[in-house]
Amino acid sequence: MLSRKDKLFFMSLLPLSLSLLAILIISIAVIGIRSIDSISFFGSKLYTMNVWDPEAEVYGLLAPIAGSIVTSVIAILTASFFSIPLTITIAEYLKGSTKNIVSSIVELMGGLPTIIYAVWASQYLVPFLKQYVMDPLYSYLSFIPLFSCKPITGFSVLAAGISIGISITPYVTALILEAYQSIPSIYREACYGIGATRYESIKILLSLARPAIIAALVLGFARSLGETTIAVATIGNSMNLNLCLFSPSYTVSALIASQFANAYLYPYAESVLYAGMLILVIISILLSLYGSTTIIRWRSRVIV
Amino acid sequence: MYNWRKLIDKLFTYMVIAVSIVAISPVIHLIITVLLNGTMVIVKTGINFFISLPPTPFSKDFGGIAPAIVGSLLMTFISLPITIVLGLFAAILTTEFPKNTISIVIDTIAKSLASIPTIAVSMIVYTIIVVPMRSFSALAGSIALTIVSLPYAYTYFSTTLRSVPFIYREAAFSIAMSRWSTVLKILIPVVRRGIVTAILMTLVRILGETAALLFTAGRFRNGVTISPLAPADAIPLLIFDFVLSPYEIWRQVAWGASALLLLSYMVIFFTVKFLVKEVKL
Repeated sequence: MLSRKDKLFFMSLLPLSLSLLAILIISIAVIGIRSIDSISFFGSKLYTMNVWDPEAEVYGLLAPIAGSIVTSVIAILTASFFSIPLTITIAEYLKGSTKNIVSSIVELMGGLPTIIYAVWASQYLVPFLKQYVMDPLYSYLSFIPLFSCKPITGFSVLAAGISIGISITPYVTALILEAYQSIPSIYREACYGIGATRYESIKILLSLARPAIIAALVLGFARSLGETTIAVATIGNSMNLNLCLFSPSYTVSALIASQFANAYLYPYAESVLYAGMLILVIISILLSLYGSTTIIRWRSRVIV
Repeated sequence: MYNWRKLIDKLFTYMVIAVSIVAISPVIHLIITVLLNGTMVIVKTGINFFISLPPTPFSKDFGGIAPAIVGSLLMTFISLPITIVLGLFAAILTTEFPKNTISIVIDTIAKSLASIPTIAVSMIVYTIIVVPMRSFSALAGSIALTIVSLPYAYTYFSTTLRSVPFIYREAAFSIAMSRWSTVLKILIPVVRRGIVTAILMTLVRILGETAALLFTAGRFRNGVTISPLAPADAIPLLIFDFVLSPYEIWRQVAWGASALLLLSYMVIFFTVKFLVKEVKL
């Protein structure tokens, strides 16, 4: 029980602290209320059809939703391909000032404003990917549906996924590195004690950290779902729905960024965009809660 | 058998290091190209880059980004103090009463808020501020920036405050200090470096945010105003619009603005790095 003075202290902190709660409630309420119109008018078609025709008042968000998910999957594959080796290098192979420099670079990457990634990706990375990744894949492997269309400008789902993946790599690396380094040293000593090589002990330690790594990837996935500036700059922005990764498409946030400004001109357009965002917000919040609780639970189990 | 295991170990080491080099090379390429392209534009325009208006698509001169610089400073000036006060209060509450239900709720909410896409924040502020006020404004932009950076500010502050060992509190209580003066005179001074770091990291969040400003700040580029109720521009917003435009001159200006943003980010980053060993943004 709190004493009277403690209670006073608590009450004096409470009003401003509740701002976080108020913001969350208002946010979800606003998005929910603004999307009611379109959801009640179009029903489930809103999420299963693919059209954007304000003149005829028909909307379907299938392409942007699929685009968001596919882009984020590519992003998280890219990020895990980079961040797990990066974690191992920083934690196992580097020492002293080299370790400091490399982890500083990763920290520097992590806070870089996304707009700068967007500028760089749209001017350098996309042309690079088109010339050295998409064109070769198309000319040799075009029988695979994923690579079956000719890359025209390079601005595409694949380009957006890789660009976003590079931008979330430092975030995912920080999470995995924290988990990996928090494994008590007795496990490593046990590995070396039975004569394991470094590779074998890393394999054992990584399998011990697996739940935390998966949680880190889930958190990275949630973050890339909401990424806007990089997506707009690299995905090519067209209402396209097909299997090919080289064709331009939309993500939900890219669609909003390019259509919201004029949406007030049409009766349902604004509400449709809010409905798209509603899905994204719900998925992001659930995934991030799942990810962060998993990491906390894993830590209390491994670190005794 | 023995050699085989050693060989795999070696191969694994080389592969891991090779992929790591590939992983950090993009950011090095990024920093070099942005700084090269950008400083070239800034050097060519000189002081005009900071004091004149952006060019029209067909003008010969680069012009400058004065409205964006002033707008960014104005919105940071409004939103940073609010964010710090709200974040710090919430952080004090949850560190001083860690087992209270309200603290646990606030902690969870901060995590959920951080995961809301920033463009959603822009849409929300558009509905509750811009539409009722019938105009885009620096104020709406500042509110959006506050909402976006608050959960981060809260996390930075609470990690800092939690790092104070409990004995400091016990010592303060033993000489009958009240809880408020314990916080203000003992806890915060003990971690003042951490507090400064937290403030700087919040500043980075606010300065670099783009999506939250899309439908809130307006994009007023024909003049410089410092009225919070008037539409304003911001550096990230200008970069966003100009880099995707078909006009070569606008893309050049975008490079200049990116270099300016990157440089200010790096200055803050290295200040933070100087203050504390590990930075987590």
